Amino acid sequence: MLGWTGNILRVNLTTKTYKKEAYSEEFAQTWVGGRGFASKILYDELEPGIDPLGPDNKFIVALGPLAGIPAPNTGKAVVAAKSPLTGFYGDGNLGTRVSEHLRKAGYDALIVEGKADRPTMLYIEDDKVEFLPAGEVWGQGTYAANDWIYGKYGKGVGVLNIGQGGENLNRYAVVRSLEGRAGGRPGMGAVMGSKLLKAVVVKGTRPIPQADGPGMKALGQGDLKKVQQIDKEMGWSVQSTTGVLSFCNEVAGLPVRNFRKTHHPDAWKIDGERLNNARIATYGCPNCTMRCGITIHDKEGRESELDYENIGLLGANLEIFDLPQVGSLNYLCDEYGLDTMSAGCVLGFYADAIDHGATDGDFKFGDAERAKELLRLAAHREGKVGNLLADGSLRMARAFGRGSEAYAMQVKGLEVAAYNCKFIPGQALAYGVAAIGAHHREAWIITFEIKHTTRESYGPEKAAKVIELQRIRGGMFEFIVACRFPWIELGWSLDNYPKYFKATTGLDWTLDDMWTRADRIYALIKLHFLREFPRVTRQADYPPAVWFDPANADTDGPIAGKHLEADKYDGLLQHYYDQRGYDRRGIPTKATLEKLGLGREAAAAEAYAKLS
Amino acid sequence: MKIQVKMIGPLMYEAGFSEKEIEVPAGTTADSLMDLVKVSRQRPKIVTRNGKAVAPDEPLTEGDRIAVSPIYSGG
Repeated sequence: MLGWTGNILRVNLTTKTYKKEAYSEEFAQTWVGGRGFASKILYDELEPGIDPLGPDNKFIVALGPLAGIPAPNTGKAVVAAKSPLTGFYGDGNLGTRVSEHLRKAGYDALIVEGKADRPTMLYIEDDKVEFLPAGEVWGQGTYAANDWIYGKYGKGVGVLNIGQGGENLNRYAVVRSLEGRAGGRPGMGAVMGSKLLKAVVVKGTRPIPQADGPGMKALGQGDLKKVQQIDKEMGWSVQSTTGVLSFCNEVAGLPVRNFRKTHHPDAWKIDGERLNNARIATYGCPNCTMRCGITIHDKEGRESELDYENIGLLGANLEIFDLPQVGSLNYLCDEYGLDTMSAGCVLGFYADAIDHGATDGDFKFGDAERAKELLRLAAHREGKVGNLLADGSLRMARAFGRGSEAYAMQVKGLEVAAYNCKFIPGQALAYGVAAIGAHHREAWIITFEIKHTTRESYGPEKAAKVIELQRIRGGMFEFIVACRFPWIELGWSLDNYPKYFKATTGLDWTLDDMWTRADRIYALIKLHFLREFPRVTRQADYPPAVWFDPANADTDGPIAGKHLEADKYDGLLQHYYDQRGYDRRGIPTKATLEKLGLGREAAAAEAYAKLS
Repeated sequence: MKIQVKMIGPLMYEAGFSEKEIEVPAGTTADSLMDLVKVSRQRPKIVTRNGKAVAPDEPLTEGDRIAVSPIYSGG
């Protein structure tokens, strides 16, 4: 096999043993890597119903055949497990040198099983695996832990670690790497914490087997320069992702005050222009061509690496229009290892629930100092409030009652992204049908809706666009494992990716071959959901109820009086199901599963629920 | 007529301003406005008028707020 190493490293923390396992070419070509490998392994190896924070869960780091290869934006890894936030398959994707090192160590994936008897750091160097004590840094944040690791090994290693959030089993704790990289929104950090696994450190020294190593190197390095040049000409990374904040504010798509409002006159204070003006450094992932990690000094003078989601959800959504303060909240999330998106939505929900009398509490929109304290409580599960916040907005809403679930901004338990879809039906669909719960990562169609169709439409073209983007964003880029930004932001042709894939694996795949794998993975993740929630209905694919409420419509601005309409959304959802070959519950039919080569997986699902 | 023009993201550096009120001739369209603010008509962009998409040949009116944004794609 070329392009793939053909091996997975399986480590058991309970027995302190490990094994290098070969996998077949058929497995490689069916699932490719990243999200594909992780979703298949977890489907086969996890019994439905296990406790995501118990020792039976498995933490996976999964790479793709482009990981570790010098080519545009390939320094990424997928982390996956059963999610303690959503209760089914969850994953994330982050920039990290583990991507290159794990591949050079000779593996395309790492599976961590069991639970250590004390805080542990895994050190992997080629064929060697060591279970080392991490008690010295247990209880410390990710920056301190990272410094400790670099102190031991130098910077020539790949590191994944967790902060207090993961250690204390905060359900939206993430895995951290490098300066400000983070991934695994649905609590992948908590899964590491539940295993007493503080960090994974990898050093790989061997070449990655490729079909045409020299050719790939020349192609990849040449293209790295070309994409860098395009970014320079387009000026994208001058404001990076935060440039979109002003656009959202213009078109009434900004999350403000727990998504109650869609724009704000002070939004300019935390926009891309202000962020660029405050820039003191820029960080990015390995092999990045357009580094998005604009870094500023936060209120306390610390370096804080910000992007749109952080600013949107910890800033605008909390009505904190003070960039250094937003930097502080972001820094704390990175330090504690919490997902900034869920943290912003959780805090927004908490303030909103207090405002609406659903709970007693002390937190008002705009109070940055109190928000810092609440993040500390949430990361440490300290006291009643800390424990409440640590469980995420859906569980909080169920504890509060009083109709608060309507404005817990989540789908399937995972909080939404910083795009307010009060009147953006197609993007609301994208949240509703994202594989792992609400996420914009998988499909983002807002410009399509505003420019090429109309916001009022719930037509099949919107469902088709969501599927088109899911195949690319939630599919190909998540299993080939590379960052989608050169394509999605700079127009770098998708045709380049089969070229890289061929140079490294020798396989002449078309983009259609990629879409087949993407469809297969989406269907499998739906089966994960079905096995955990056999009584699933199509309601699981609905966005937050508050977006359908006429009382919540804007009173001014471009979408005054407008809101999502449930019967029309249902029709749009049905378009998506029809186009995907899913039944009325949103579950792939037997015919669809057969077509995707998922016959055995379908049979495994039928032990738990009927298939149509 | 007077209109408010907001340039978003890297377009502000191309146009040389972030937001300002400008005087334009009657009959100015979204497309002809691009010539006035020195942004290429061919550059991929989305132009909104009072928060809604506007066709390139649609005449603007007094008091309009026009925003010109690159095509963001959600990151």
